[in-house]
Amino acid sequence: MSVLARSRSAATALLPFALVLVVGVLLLISVSAPPLEVFRLIFQGALGSQAGLSTTLMVWVPLVLAAAGLVVTFTAGLWNIGIEGQIIVGAVAGALVARTVIGPPLLVIPLLILAGAVGGMLWGLLVGVLRVYGRVNEIFGGLGLFFVATGLVVYLVIGPWQRAGSASTSGTDLFRREAWLPRAGGWRFSWVALGLAVALVVGVYLLMRGTRFGLRLRAVGRNGRSAFLMGITTNRHLLAAFALCGALGGLGGALHAAGFHHKLVPAVSGGYGFLGILVVLLAGFRAVWIAPIAFFFAVISVGSTQLQLRLQLHSSLAGVLQGVLVLCALLVGGWQLRRAHLSRRRAEEGG
Amino acid sequence: MSLELRGIHKRYGSVRANDGVDLILEAGSIHGLLGENGAGKSTLMKVLSGFVAPDSGRVLLDGRPVRLGSTRAAIRAGIGMLHQDPLVFLPFTVLDNFILGSGRRVRRAAARRDLQRMADQFGFRLDPEAPARSLTVGERQQLEIVRLLWLGARVLILDEPTTGISATQQERLFATLRALAEQGMIVAFVSHKLEEVEALCRRVTVMRRGRVVGEADLPCPTERLVEMMFGRVQVPVVRERAAPGDAVLELQGMRPADRGVAESHTLAVGRGEVIGLAGLEGSGQRPFLRTCAGLQRPAEGRIRVAGRDLTRARYREFRRAGVHFLPAGRLEEGLISGLTLTEHFLLASPGGSFVIDWAQAEAEAAATIAENLIVGSPRSAAEELSGGNQQRLLLSLMPSEVQVLLMEHPTRGLDLESADWVWRRLLERSRRGTAIVFASSDLEELLRYSDRILVFFAGKVLREVPAETISGEDLGYLIGGKDPR
Amino acid sequence: MRTKWTWVVVLAVFALVVAACGDDAATTTTAAPTTTGAETTTTGAETTTTGPAEQLVFGMILVGPYNDRGWSQAHYEAGQYLEEKLGARMIYLDKVNTADRPETTVDQVAAQMIGEGAQLVFATSDDMRDGIELAAELYPDVPMVWSSGDSAWPEAGAAYRPDLANLANTMGRMEYGKMMAGCAAALSSEAGKIGFLGPLINAETLRLASAAYLGARYCWEEFRGEDPATLAFRVDWIGFWFHIPGLTIDPTQVANDFVDSGIDVIISGIDTTEALVVAGQRSAAGATVWAIPYDYHGACDEAPQVCLGVPYFNWNPAYLRLAQSVLDGTFRAEWEWFGPDWDDINNMETSGIGFLPGTALTGENLALLEQFIDGLADGSINLFTGPLNYQDGTPFLGDGEVATDVQVWFMEQLLEGMVGASRPS
Repeated sequence: MSVLARSRSAATALLPFALVLVVGVLLLISVSAPPLEVFRLIFQGALGSQAGLSTTLMVWVPLVLAAAGLVVTFTAGLWNIGIEGQIIVGAVAGALVARTVIGPPLLVIPLLILAGAVGGMLWGLLVGVLRVYGRVNEIFGGLGLFFVATGLVVYLVIGPWQRAGSASTSGTDLFRREAWLPRAGGWRFSWVALGLAVALVVGVYLLMRGTRFGLRLRAVGRNGRSAFLMGITTNRHLLAAFALCGALGGLGGALHAAGFHHKLVPAVSGGYGFLGILVVLLAGFRAVWIAPIAFFFAVISVGSTQLQLRLQLHSSLAGVLQGVLVLCALLVGGWQLRRAHLSRRRAEEGG
Repeated sequence: MSLELRGIHKRYGSVRANDGVDLILEAGSIHGLLGENGAGKSTLMKVLSGFVAPDSGRVLLDGRPVRLGSTRAAIRAGIGMLHQDPLVFLPFTVLDNFILGSGRRVRRAAARRDLQRMADQFGFRLDPEAPARSLTVGERQQLEIVRLLWLGARVLILDEPTTGISATQQERLFATLRALAEQGMIVAFVSHKLEEVEALCRRVTVMRRGRVVGEADLPCPTERLVEMMFGRVQVPVVRERAAPGDAVLELQGMRPADRGVAESHTLAVGRGEVIGLAGLEGSGQRPFLRTCAGLQRPAEGRIRVAGRDLTRARYREFRRAGVHFLPAGRLEEGLISGLTLTEHFLLASPGGSFVIDWAQAEAEAAATIAENLIVGSPRSAAEELSGGNQQRLLLSLMPSEVQVLLMEHPTRGLDLESADWVWRRLLERSRRGTAIVFASSDLEELLRYSDRILVFFAGKVLREVPAETISGEDLGYLIGGKDPR
Repeated sequence: MRTKWTWVVVLAVFALVVAACGDDAATTTTAAPTTTGAETTTTGAETTTTGPAEQLVFGMILVGPYNDRGWSQAHYEAGQYLEEKLGARMIYLDKVNTADRPETTVDQVAAQMIGEGAQLVFATSDDMRDGIELAAELYPDVPMVWSSGDSAWPEAGAAYRPDLANLANTMGRMEYGKMMAGCAAALSSEAGKIGFLGPLINAETLRLASAAYLGARYCWEEFRGEDPATLAFRVDWIGFWFHIPGLTIDPTQVANDFVDSGIDVIISGIDTTEALVVAGQRSAAGATVWAIPYDYHGACDEAPQVCLGVPYFNWNPAYLRLAQSVLDGTFRAEWEWFGPDWDDINNMETSGIGFLPGTALTGENLALLEQFIDGLADGSINLFTGPLNYQDGTPFLGDGEVATDVQVWFMEQLLEGMVGASRPS
C-alpha cells in the first residue's frame, strides 16, 4: 500500500470522528453550550480522575468484548444483532455461579468467568442453529432471543432471585464479596476484566488475521457458495462464529455483572451489544480499530454525565450527542460502502 | 449521420483503459469493435453511452459536440447502449420494463401498441403482459432493443450481445441489426469473437491495450485480424485422442432431482476421457453436472466414482473421492471477491498449519501465479483479475489429483489466447488420467476437445455422438432438437 | 470525488472556525456557572440575613428525570429550596438507574459529586441502597442522606448498618397522604371500584397501598354508609418506580386496563403521571374516571379536570434541617420518619407530607375529606388499629392493637380485602 493510500485510509477511518466533531459543535452551539468546554468535560470526566478512568475502563471491557465477538460474526457475513441477549445470558450464568458457588475468590471467579462465556456461547449457538438448520435469519433469531433473554433476566430479578422483601426490576442482592472481581489497588477497575479483554481482543485480531480458521471465516462471509464449493464446511464455520461471538459477549456480561454492578441487573447488557455493532461498523469490520473506537465510545458514555454535573446541561444532551455519533457513523459507513462499490465498479470497468 | 470520438482518455488508477482513442462510426453499416478482454472496448462504449465520464476527449454527433454525463443524457442525444446483461426488472412485466425509464408520462395503451408494432416489425415475439422473469437473455435483448429505439435511439451500441443467447436468437439479432443499419442507423458491435464480427460487420476497428491498433474493411483475411488483436497468429491445439481407460465415473439410471429432467442417465466415463455436453441452456446439463458433483442428490439411480458408490454421499465425500466441479459463475461459485490470490491458494490447499506464515504463503503464491501465467500479484483481489485470469486462477486452485473434472462453460467470455491456455491445461490433465465432463454452447470447442458429445434437448440426452465424426452443422441440428438424418 | 473531498475540507474548516468562536463563548459561559452560583449566593445572602459565609455544596442523585412531575422533581425542588434558603449550590444528576445510565452507578456519581466539592450527598431512591452504602464506606467523612432508607435505624434488623456513621435516612409518613387519597377516591367513586397503580413490591409500597385501602374503606363505610365488602380495591404492579420500556409493564396499559374493567378512580403509586394522563384521555373520550397522582404538589397540572387531589412529599423542611446540621457540624447518622404539620398540612415551610385537593373533588366531598383529615390530625382516627389481617388471613394486628413504627414500616403483605399480588408471581 502506498503512503498516499495509507494516509487516505487513515483519513477515511478518522472521518466519522471529524464529522461528529463538526455536528456536535453545531449542536452544542445551537443549545448555547460551550463546545470546547463540553468536549473538555467529557474527556476530563472519563479520564481525568481515578474514578472516571476506572469506570471508563470497566465500560470498555464489555463493549470491546462485544465488538471483538461481532468482528468474528461480521467476518463470517453474519449480523449477530442478538449479541445483546448473549451478554445478558452470560451475566445470568455468571450470577448463577456467584449465587450458588460458595468458596474463595480463586474458585468462584474463574468459574464465574467460565460460566459467563459458556452461557453466552450457548445463546449464540442457538441463534446459529436457528439460522443454519432452521433457516431463520440471524437478525430475527437474535432479536427474538434477546427478548427472551430480557424476559429471563427480569423474571429472575423480580422472581426467584429477588432481594429480600422487595421485588424491584432494579436488581438482585449484591453478590458475596468473594464473587466481586478483585480491584486494582485503590482503583475501581479490575485487572482481571481488563487483562482478559485486552488478551481476547488481541487473540481475535490474531485469529482473524493470521490463522486458517480466520481466513476460512472470511471466505464463508464473503461468498458462502464459493467457500462451500472449495470444500469448506460452511455450516460448521457459521456455528463456530456464533459460538465465539456469544462466548465473548457472555464473558463481557459476566465481567460487567461481577466487576461493575456486583449484582445482576436487568439492564446489565447496557446496550453494549448494540453499541458494539456501531463500533465494528465504524472500525470497518477490522479488529485493529475496535479497541480505540470502543474506548472512544466508553469515554463519551462515561464522560457525558459531567455535562449535567458541571454545566447543568439537560441530561438528554449526552444521548443526543451519542445519537449524532451513531448517525455520523452510519452516514460515513454508507458513504464508504458506496465508495468501495464505486472503486470496485471502476476496477471492473478498467479490467 | 456520423458519430466521432476524439482523443478519449480514461484511466482507472494505474490502468489506462482508453489511451487516446479516435474512432468514427458511419451510418448505414454495422461497425465492429474487436479486441481481447481488457483491450478497452467496453470502457470506450461506456464513455459513448454516458455510463462513465472520460478524463478527456470529445464526442461529436454529425460534427456537433455532444454533452454526455449520464445514460439519460446519452439517450436524449440518441445514443442507446445494449448491455451484455440487459438491465431488466425481473418482477415487472415486459410492458412495465418497456415503459420504465422513459422519463415521460406515457399512456399504457399507446405504449403497448408501440411495443407490439415494433416487435412485429423485427419478428420478435414479446408478450407485453408476460413477467420479465420468464424471458430468456435473448428475449431480454430484444425487449431492450425495442425500448431503446422507442426512446429515439439513432445510435445503437451492443456490448458482447451474443453471450448466453441461442443460435436462433443470434440469427434473429443479426438480422435485426442489419435491418437497422440499412434504415440509416449507426450500429456498433463490440465483440471478441472473430466469426461474429466477420459475419456481421462491414468495417472493423481493432483495439489492444487501450489504443486503436488498426482498422479494416471486411471481408479481409482472418489472419490479419488475429494479428491485429494479439500481435501474433494463434496455432490451434490439435487434440491427440487416446483410448479411454477404466471407467471412473459411472451413472446407473441416475436421474437428477430437477423438474426439467425428463430421463435418467446411464453412462460410464473412462479415465482420460473428455465428454462434451451440448445443448441449449436449460436443457438439463446443469442438474446433470451438479448431481454428478454431489451438490444435489439424484432422485433415483446410482453414482459411482472410481468404483465407490457415492449415491447418497455428501459433496465433501465427492471431493475426497477426487471429483472437482468448476461452475460457470466464476465470481459467484468459484472465487471469492475481496480475498487475494494468496488467500485463495491457502484456502484451496488442505491441511497446513493453523497459523499462517504470510511471507511464505505469498512466496508460494507468487510461484503458482508465475507457473500458471496469471496476470496479477499475490495481493491482487480475485475480482480485479480479468475473466481469463480468473479462469486460470480457478484451474490453478484445482487439487493435483483429480479423478473427475466437471465444468460448465470452461472458456465462456475468454479471449482466444486464454481459452487456448485453459484447454492446454485441461488436456494435460486428461492425459494424466482425469476424466473431464464439460458443458458448453461453443460448438467448435465441443467438436475440438471432446471424445464423445452428449446432446441435451428438453431435459434428456437426445443423442450421444463421437466428436470425430460429426460435423458442426449436424451438431447444430441436434442441439435444435432436429435429427440431421 | 474531488468535489467530495472539497466538501469535507470546507466542513472541517467551518467546524474549526465555529469551534474557535465557540471558544470565546466557552470562556464566558464556563465562568457562568460560577457567576450564577455567586449570584445565588448573594441573593441568598440578601434574603436570608443569616446566610453563612461558606457556601454549602451538595449533591442530589435523582432516580428519574428532574422534571418528572413526581418523586424526582419533588427532591429537585427541595434542592432548589436549599439553594435559595442557604445560598447553597446543588450538583444534581438525574435518571440514575441502570436502564437509563447503564455505565453509571450511584457510588460513582457520589464520588464524582464529592470530587466536584459536594459536602453532602442525597441519594433519593430506595433503589440506591447498594450504591450509597458503598459510597458511605468509601467516603466516611462526607455526610450522606439516603431518602426512604432504613440503614440508620436500629430497629431495621439486618438492614441496620451501624458502621456507616455518615449515612442518615429520611422519609415521610406518606401513609397519611395515601389514606387521604384513598378517602377521596372512595368518596368520589360511583362504581365502588378503585385501582392502585403500584410500582415494585417492597415493604414501603405494600404499606402505602394498604394505607390507601384503609383510607378508602374508612370513608366508604363511615361517610357513604356502604358495606366495606362492596368496595373493590385492586393493586397492579408494574415492576419499577417508573416505566422502563422492555423491563417494566407499561403503566399506561395498566391504567387503561383499570378503566376497561370498570374502575373509576385510579390511585397512582408510581413516580410518574401516567394514571392521571390516561384518566384525562379516557374522560375526554366519555368515560367517567378520576385519578389521584402522587409525590409532587404540582402533579395535578397534567389533567386537572379529572384530578381528585395529590398526596405529596415536601422535602424542604427535612432537607433544610439536614443541610443546616452539616453546616453546624451537628450532622448525625439518624433515621427520620417525618409526618405532616397537622396545623397546616400544605405549608411548604413546615409540613413534610401534604395533600392538595384537586378541582375534580366536589365541595361536598372536600368537606368530608377535611373532616377525615381532622380526625387523623387529632388522633381520633388511627387506621392502623386492629383487628387487621394480611391478605392470606394471617393476623397483622390483634383486636385493638395499634401498629408500631416497625410494624408499619415492615409490612409483609397487602391487607385482607385487597385484590392483587403481595409477592411477585
